[in-house]
Amino acid sequence: MGDVMALIEIENLSVTFNANGRRVRAVEAVSLKVGEKASFGLVGESGSGKSTILRAICGLAPVSAGRIRIGGEAVQSPRGKAFSAQVQMVFQDPYASLHPRHTVDRTLSEPLAIHGIGDRDARVMTALTDVGLPTSFRFRYPHQLSGGQRQRVAIARALMLKPQILLLDEPTSALDASVQAEVLNLLMRLREERGLTFLMVSHDLAVIDHMCDRVLVMQNGRAVEELSRTALASAQMQTDYARSLFAASADRMLEG
Amino acid sequence: MTMASSSWSTWLREPNPASRLQSRLVQAWLSWLRFRRNPLAMIGLAISVALVLMSIFAPLLAPYDPIAQALGNRLLPPGTPGHWMGTDDFGRDIWSRILFGSRITLYIVLLVILTAPVVGLIIGTVAGYFGGWIDQVLMRITDIFLAFPKLILALALVAVLGPGMVNAVLAIALTSWPPYARVARAETLTVRNSDYIAAVKLQGAGAMRVILGHVMPMCLPSVIIRVTLDMAGVILTAAGLGFLGLGVQPPMPEWGLMISAGRKFLFEQWWVATMPGLAIFIVSLGFNLLGDGLRDVLDPRSSGR
Repeated sequence: MGDVMALIEIENLSVTFNANGRRVRAVEAVSLKVGEKASFGLVGESGSGKSTILRAICGLAPVSAGRIRIGGEAVQSPRGKAFSAQVQMVFQDPYASLHPRHTVDRTLSEPLAIHGIGDRDARVMTALTDVGLPTSFRFRYPHQLSGGQRQRVAIARALMLKPQILLLDEPTSALDASVQAEVLNLLMRLREERGLTFLMVSHDLAVIDHMCDRVLVMQNGRAVEELSRTALASAQMQTDYARSLFAASADRMLEG
Repeated sequence: MTMASSSWSTWLREPNPASRLQSRLVQAWLSWLRFRRNPLAMIGLAISVALVLMSIFAPLLAPYDPIAQALGNRLLPPGTPGHWMGTDDFGRDIWSRILFGSRITLYIVLLVILTAPVVGLIIGTVAGYFGGWIDQVLMRITDIFLAFPKLILALALVAVLGPGMVNAVLAIALTSWPPYARVARAETLTVRNSDYIAAVKLQGAGAMRVILGHVMPMCLPSVIIRVTLDMAGVILTAAGLGFLGLGVQPPMPEWGLMISAGRKFLFEQWWVATMPGLAIFIVSLGFNLLGDGLRDVLDPRSSGR
């Protein structure tokens, strides 16, 4: 796996926030590689810096050290349009990630307008159908949609530019259990159909087990242990922390 | 007729609008239904609409020429046949002058609300969005303008520019943008770090697009509310400038100017100053009630997300 050309390469990444003169190290010297069409998970409790890694890739968090490479090339700062067409993100809270005063249509057309892509009507309709929403929702506002429907819109938006890589920041943690499964299955289907590469953050090992080939366990901004899916399934963890995290969600994993 | 109106109202309640226009109209209709529930706001709206109608139809409604003098009819009390509000010291019908005065008031208000909030919105959103030294520079300029009392600064500007209606508007606009910049900046700061702004940045949007298309719509409600609440202040400042002789010049029937003229005989012929005073009072009250009602409808925090 490690020998195959990696699509996402992160080397010794550190992110340091400056909070009122105090330096907060959110991520310290984390390295990871995600192969093409792979699905890579980041787990850890809240505050372990897993979401910060995604934000750092997108240029939304300050990188203090280390390198980020996409497709073998170091990312530009600011990221630019070519990056946007290659990497997109789905945010955790669908209630906060859609503009409250834009219709679904506007939200989905915006990336097309930014990149000067034509034929917007047809593309918006297709995008809605692809994520399992009726086209009659096109001119609704976010407050007229449920949480699950909003997250579908957010996924559709992320896919408008046909990116290779999708960064998923706990895409289901704000949703009801029944809706969670639907959204996860939708993501699985889209990954298969489009050959997407996922880098997914979750605090829920059951979700990661369902979705990912490899997992990186994080604690306090550091990488603790990297596991393959088989190692995860047979509970072959090397570290105590990974084992305790696994024990906490083992019951639900066995159900699934 | 009933068929048509019921199909209209279902069209306006359609949960799945078929076009951008319908979607926007549905939202406007829902806001209107919410607005209609507030009787005070409806009174404010009625007063504002009445002001607009008065100024449009002033030539038809006014029984006399507002400027032509009739010295034989000087200082007739209210209730005199033909002059129900009385006449002033040049024998001009006060009702006619108030009607034509509404045009000047509306003209000043419109010019100010078309300029000051736009300037304030641009400065506030740019300062809030970029932060850093841009924010520092723009907000210190705003602070300097805020440090002067409005009327005093307007007086200074008019003293430099010379008296007159256009200069009065300019002076009022130049002194009233800072609060809008403050409001817009505060709103921008709350929106700037939200996920939906991060999402559109991640799609490669430039600062212009983010500010105009994504940040400004979020600031607009607060600014609009502030504008309607400030309209009364604008009218009062314009009247104040007129009263001091630095705004609209005689013989134009501006309300502040009319109060100023009536001041000389306030105790003997009270109506000369009182009638335009009442007009200013009613219109200011109307705009304030309207602003209060709009706050309930437009405030993003009260209308749900």
